Amino acid sequence: MATTTTAPPAATRHEMFERATRTVSPRVDIYEIDKAYVLLADMPGVTPDGLDVEAERDTLTIRGHVERPSTPPDYQEFELADYQRVFTLTEDLDAANVTATLRDGVLRVEIPKSPLTQPKKIPVRTE
Amino acid sequence: MDARSMWDPWQEMRRLQREMEHLFADATPAWRWPLGGEYPPVNVTRGDNGLVLEAPCPGVDRRSLDVTVVGDAVTIRGERKAEEGVPEERYHRRERQLGSFSRTMGLGERLDAEHTRATYSSGILRLQLARAPEAMPKKITIQS
Repeated sequence: MATTTTAPPAATRHEMFERATRTVSPRVDIYEIDKAYVLLADMPGVTPDGLDVEAERDTLTIRGHVERPSTPPDYQEFELADYQRVFTLTEDLDAANVTATLRDGVLRVEIPKSPLTQPKKIPVRTE
Repeated sequence: MDARSMWDPWQEMRRLQREMEHLFADATPAWRWPLGGEYPPVNVTRGDNGLVLEAPCPGVDRRSLDVTVVGDAVTIRGERKAEEGVPEERYHRRERQLGSFSRTMGLGERLDAEHTRATYSSGILRLQLARAPEAMPKKITIQS
């Protein structure tokens, strides 16, 4: 099987461009604790340098950049791509005090509830 | 596992999924992997010095991560645990696959278990697999 092609065909170039610009949506879990919402996102391949978490008014954006191999593998089941996902925050969240940690490819974002909506413990006095 | 001889229906499904995502790029979020098939998905690169297998499996409890090499087969085992102390009813969304996994793959070349190296970084397990001495190519001298 001899190949004499010098330039990739148009379809291949298109695919290459598409791969370079496409992002994947990471899978997430979201749960609620008394004082905050916790978001966990699977972002394998992302290092702290490539991570970007932005909370602005009513949106939370998570982005992760991954280094892609220069040569394609001989056998391929997955393809790493940059991650991006945007969430809408409701008014009762404190976007200014979001904290994020990254461990073993899992991003953990904690979004505190606004102090106004946190449950208050009312002491009950017995007489 | 040999890409040249085995038809992988999941790979075909993923290709179709990617095409669908392209068609509805504005209407749907980007594609998510893995769509299905065995966990974790793997990529294999064959080089002169051996094989490199990479498997994304973020958030695996390191104590549960286990790699064994027998003959030409590699087995990866591990467990992805949920955060402790969070009751089911506290979850608003659950998309991440959790639980124990085990996957065995035949790589078509005899491997040297003694010289296998494994690293786990950024949620990607990377195995550097050496070929068994008898599987190494031997240079044959041509006698004149």
